[in-house]
Amino acid sequence: MDPRAIRLTAPCTLHHRALVVRLVAEVCRLARSQAAVGDAASTDDLAPGYDVRDPFDVAVVSAFAEIYNNIVLHACEGMVDPIIELRAAVDEHGVTLELVDHGQVFDPSTVASPDLDSLLEGGMGLHIARAMLDVVEYEPGPPNLWRLQKRLPGSSAVPAPSVRIAQR
Amino acid sequence: MPIEIVRADTGDTVSLRISGTLDVLTAPEMGTQIERIVNERRMKVMVDLSGLDLIDSSGVAALVALYKRVRAGGGQVHVAGARDQPLAIFKLLRMDKVFLL
Repeated sequence: MDPRAIRLTAPCTLHHRALVVRLVAEVCRLARSQAAVGDAASTDDLAPGYDVRDPFDVAVVSAFAEIYNNIVLHACEGMVDPIIELRAAVDEHGVTLELVDHGQVFDPSTVASPDLDSLLEGGMGLHIARAMLDVVEYEPGPPNLWRLQKRLPGSSAVPAPSVRIAQR
Repeated sequence: MPIEIVRADTGDTVSLRISGTLDVLTAPEMGTQIERIVNERRMKVMVDLSGLDLIDSSGVAALVALYKRVRAGGGQVHVAGARDQPLAIFKLLRMDKVFLL
């Protein structure tokens, strides 16, 4: 496992959503900074709040938030004190995020593409994630694993899955 | 940043200025506003999203619900001012044309 991977374990609840999403936003910013200045990039200048304006950050944060919502609302629904693990890695190609939960198994193939010509009030989350990212993979568990990857602008390769979970 | 919804009434027009984050956690607050507006049979609703920083599919669903319910009652909804992440989401879902953003 990449020793530089960032890891967070948190209660799998909507109330911890902002905390986890903020970490993802900062990982995106670190990835862009690293692409620009190499290893001199740091998190010393963490933004005081959300600053999701760069298209790369918009894509990753939007997609991640939808997957997180689905895990909390569906996979972990009814569980007592569920937890979620986030692992994030940055390399020269982009960002890899892995989300691990111990909830119910999900079958993404059962989710139809939404009809965007009608005004929808649901069923948009997975579509947003797939459209925003280069890789959206799901491995049923237990535990269940979502792997999300986004290339940095100008990179032709997807990031290496360097934070692949060693122990499932 | 949590959501802030500021409502101003001018005649038959309701103006909503939504700031912060409209997501799965804050959409229920929007739902409360929608109920009031629909029950009051307001015919024109103006929604200003220029202060909105983040939205998710639950937030989009709340705005669509407002749009559908007001129009079902014969009213009009105008949504304006979306930028950055919310605008990207509306474009992805092809709602930018519906909302005339």
